[in-house]
Amino acid sequence: MSTSQTPAVVMDNGTGYSKLGFAGNDAPSFVFPTAIATKGATGGSGSGSGRPAVAQKPSFLTGGAGPGGHLSAKRGTEDLDFFIGDEALAAAKGPGYGIDYPIRHGQIENWDHMERFWQSSIFKYLRVEPEDHYFLLTEPPLNPPESRESTAEIMFESFNCAGLYIAVQAVLALAASWTSSKVQDRSLTGTVIDSGDGVTHVIPVAEGYVIGSSIRSIPIAGRDITYFVQSLLRDRGEPDSSLKTAESIKEEFCYVCPDIVKEFSKYDREPDKFQKYVVDQGAGRKVTVDVGYERFLAPEIFFNPEIYSSDFLTPLPEVVDGVIQSSPIDVRKGLYKNIVLSGGSTLYKDFGRRLQRDIRNLVQERLEMSERRAGVKSSGLEVSVITHKRQRYGPWFGGSLLGQTPEFRSYCHTKQEYDEIGPSIVRRFALLGGPGGTA
Amino acid sequence: MPAYHSSFLGDTDARVIGNFAMFPLRTKTRGPAYVLPLLGPEDDEIHLDPESESYDILDETLLLFRANTLFRNFEIKGPADRVLIYGILFISECLGKIKPNMTGREAEKALNTLALEHFALPGDPTFPLNALFAPPKDRNDADTLRQYISQMRQELAIRLLSRVYFESATVPSKWWLSFTKRKFMGKNL
Repeated sequence: MSTSQTPAVVMDNGTGYSKLGFAGNDAPSFVFPTAIATKGATGGSGSGSGRPAVAQKPSFLTGGAGPGGHLSAKRGTEDLDFFIGDEALAAAKGPGYGIDYPIRHGQIENWDHMERFWQSSIFKYLRVEPEDHYFLLTEPPLNPPESRESTAEIMFESFNCAGLYIAVQAVLALAASWTSSKVQDRSLTGTVIDSGDGVTHVIPVAEGYVIGSSIRSIPIAGRDITYFVQSLLRDRGEPDSSLKTAESIKEEFCYVCPDIVKEFSKYDREPDKFQKYVVDQGAGRKVTVDVGYERFLAPEIFFNPEIYSSDFLTPLPEVVDGVIQSSPIDVRKGLYKNIVLSGGSTLYKDFGRRLQRDIRNLVQERLEMSERRAGVKSSGLEVSVITHKRQRYGPWFGGSLLGQTPEFRSYCHTKQEYDEIGPSIVRRFALLGGPGGTA
Repeated sequence: MPAYHSSFLGDTDARVIGNFAMFPLRTKTRGPAYVLPLLGPEDDEIHLDPESESYDILDETLLLFRANTLFRNFEIKGPADRVLIYGILFISECLGKIKPNMTGREAEKALNTLALEHFALPGDPTFPLNALFAPPKDRNDADTLRQYISQMRQELAIRLLSRVYFESATVPSKWWLSFTKRKFMGKNL
């Protein structure tokens, strides 16, 4: 098979989950935790079975010398004894395996584990020959160029892949929103709200470039919502208040309401708003958990962090407004007009509507104030939050969309170019999906 | 969107003692409060229309309780907000007295005792919110305020019971009791 017909491989490795698949597809072929279980070593670099500590850099980087040297010498069959994804979680429950999450806060921390993670992803899950495929990988905003180089070294030298493009997740999330009917012009200007399990980022992007100085992150995301649901279940003394139950209730029942006082009254008037969730505790034991106010109170912590956290108090709409206000003045209009949601914790019903309403109110207030001060009527400012069907795996889907375009390959760096110039070649990539593209 | 404020803030006709407003109440208990018309049997007490002439600040307190009690910060905008704070903290105290195995009768007894027992007024050393509430200026005012707050407490207890035992007269609503552990503004009475 020649490379001219094969689809590009799209891999989005996040802190929590990795999304793998082929460009042109609607959804990733594999989604599993970015976790690796290795023999003996627990928590990454410790050595459990008398083996030398796992090196932090890929073995080939240190050549024969250095600590990586004797690691490569010992690479026997035991080195192949590892699992990734859900299998890793299962293996780590048994004896002998330790689990490690090679990506922390979006960035790759343990390169040896990441290399093995990719190896298994490519050969065991996707089952492709890397020399036949171009690869589209993702990186978080503000990723250091050094870690991009290390990624390229692994992709080209260990796996010998045909070509490589590394895109910023936020930019791909913008591209993913092009599927929404609300988007008229396919611009790469907008504000991305990316909320996963651990942290929520607000990232302004102007014409495909991230405005790094204005990025803000919020320590409230999916996991906190789960904890909050759990605490409400416990306050009520429900028969099962495990994290797993709280998570299922969060995913199945939660939504965003326009006003919590009105919503409480609605529950008084309409008893069918209260729901029941049946937990199978195993061994044939089933208990029923009542589901009530947490349905709308849990996602409310984005809009009223005060009810959950005592140290972080700024509501999400205010953070978004602040991010846009701190961006250069000539792009603000575009940033307000295209606020794009991405990630699992933005999927609650009416999340986008509430966010749009709250940001609009903030903007309106400021406009009225400046109108009063200046005495001139403002022409108004459009605020629009885009909700679309590909939100959950937004960055992956954006990658899939751009990876299938005819010009994608010309934006990649090929193995040949890499051999000629070296790892520094990946410090720069031409902007994919920019003006004139056919995506 | 921070905690909710009282809609009675704009109502400046009520008498103010210290900085606590004495709004008219819809109640059968005796005291200094101006009495609003009582509800007929056809009126829905729990979802009374705020435009109704019988709607009082206690209706509002019960309406805002579940939302506001989740918040730890509250900016006082006027005397009406102080009535709201006192009411919310008193409801919390009542919920603390209702045990999950109490019937409506038993709970009624417990709350009645609580409402009538001796309580601290603003300015008393044991009053927990002295930083926010001003003391009444003389003995006379103090007596009036005590009688007014006593009316509030009794009426709130009655109305709270009708909500907590709305579905069943023998089992309290666990949805209301789940708010027992929350502390509005981090305080309790």
